[in-house]
Amino acid sequence: MNRAVLYWRAASFAVAAGFVGLWQLIADQRLVSPVFLPGPDRAWASLVRGFASGDLLDKLLGTLEHMAYGWFVASIAGIALGAMIGSSRTMRSYVAPSLEFLRPLPVSAVIPVAIAMFGLTQSMALFVIAFGAIWPMLLATIHGFAAVEPRLYEVARSLHMSRLAIIFKIALPSASPDILAGMRLSVTVALILSVVCEILAGLDGLGHWVLLSARAFRSADLFAGVILLGVIGYLTALAMSVVEKRLLKWRSSGH
Amino acid sequence: MIAAVNQRANGPGAGRAQIAFSGVTLNLGGKAILENISLDVKPGEFLCIIGASGCGKTTALRLAAGLYQPTSGTVAFDGKPMLAPRRDIAIVFQDYGKALLPWRTAFGNVSLALEASGMAASQRAARIDELLKKVGLPNHAGKYPAEMSGGMQQRLQIARCLAQEPKALLMDEPFGALDAMTRQGLQDEVLSLVRASDATVVFVTHDLEEAIYLGDRVIGLLPHPGRIGIELKIDLPRPRDQLTTRENPEFLRLRRELFDFIKASEA
Ligand SMILES: Nc1ncnc2c1ncn2[C@@H]1O[C@H](COP(=O)(O)OP(=O)(O)OP(=O)(O)O)[C@@H](O)[C@H]1O
Ligand SMILES: [Mg+2]
Repeated sequence: MNRAVLYWRAASFAVAAGFVGLWQLIADQRLVSPVFLPGPDRAWASLVRGFASGDLLDKLLGTLEHMAYGWFVASIAGIALGAMIGSSRTMRSYVAPSLEFLRPLPVSAVIPVAIAMFGLTQSMALFVIAFGAIWPMLLATIHGFAAVEPRLYEVARSLHMSRLAIIFKIALPSASPDILAGMRLSVTVALILSVVCEILAGLDGLGHWVLLSARAFRSADLFAGVILLGVIGYLTALAMSVVEKRLLKWRSSGH
Repeated sequence: MIAAVNQRANGPGAGRAQIAFSGVTLNLGGKAILENISLDVKPGEFLCIIGASGCGKTTALRLAAGLYQPTSGTVAFDGKPMLAPRRDIAIVFQDYGKALLPWRTAFGNVSLALEASGMAASQRAARIDELLKKVGLPNHAGKYPAEMSGGMQQRLQIARCLAQEPKALLMDEPFGALDAMTRQGLQDEVLSLVRASDATVVFVTHDLEEAIYLGDRVIGLLPHPGRIGIELKIDLPRPRDQLTTRENPEFLRLRRELFDFIKASEA
């Protein structure tokens, strides 16, 4: 099994290296004008330069901050609301139709509303990111809480467990696989919306950096920004799956 | 010793019923599931309930647990009406896979009952080890239910129930899903656990031999609506033995009687 893992690691690394090589080749052959497509060498140089001057680090931290705040607010609100709605059948039947109406609404439709309400501010970004990122978590949490094995509630009743104990010892852990899956999805949503908000509102972050670089035809800087965004997306998803594996150890074990 | 065990049901306090159904009728979804059931279970008694599938055995047990309230009539425990589940009545569910917390180890699952009783964290570990040992799982404290066999999971559920220090143990076809060998082993374990704890037991099964082997008394339910159709006192000597008890002529006679009852009830 370990050998297979190693093999796949090596294979995927080789593919990635192949892409970079191909990219370098295309750039060197000038198949695409260097005004639009820098080679990986130039993108890398720009990355190094950006970090050396501190500019790029500021932008990176800006994006991470937008993403983290929005995701954090969405997580708290999504899990709390989802727990409330999911654990009560009456709540579910009252609220479900409204959710069905709101859920397919593209977040882009909410952005003008948010701009009208908050202006081109950090609050607008926070609102939009949280609004977009809350859905996967809200729906997953509702589902998780609604799907708790009723037998376990009977066990809880015959043990006279308190309401709080039932939530934290039974409902929440039972719903945790759903909740974590929702959280993983919404990290990505939060990243995308952070970039969109930075572009729209000119907030400090990689989105803004990418926009300015594109306008000034600084293609190396543009690619440096895009690469960083990719790295954020990759690392956050990786971190989430590590956390998931850790917390859900009980699921993978056994038959 | 044997005589003492045998007399347990008639010992001190025998006059008063611990679990008392009087004229209990239960309707669910507009249909009578159980009708006019009157039944006294004495402290320390081992009562078995048998009956065809769907006749209302589980429903009767849930009434005794306080998970259902009767439509009419009363269910009382120690002379007081049962209005809600009680901590000193433990229930072993048939579907052990659903009744255990899959995210907790064996240790954690037993701990749940002790946490609910408010036992200090410092005292729990020793008690849990003791309970796991009692049900034959001393080396599996760190395992998750998914890593355990059906028999082990059912043992674990029993350990959690014993952690409640129940006055009454209600068991709903606890060994129904297990193979014959595991089943017989667990029957003997339950008998010795119960003997040590003095708990009253109501044991639902569709296995007639199991009912006779375990019980002081066997009650058979008739279906649609569920009502008591037969009541047999089991005077087989204790401790019971998988070989000699099952070969006892009285055992065979009782088995025949129950078999005829079930046949007639299904006809
Ligand atoms: N919540 C409910 N609403 C309506 N009918 C129910 C409900 N629960 C059980 N019943 C019906 O009551 C009857 C008795 O059910 P119960 O589960 O007590 O039977 P049982 O004797 O335990 O059967 P089995 O041996 O199959 O476990 C069945 O006909 C069942 O369909
Ligand atoms: Mg049943």
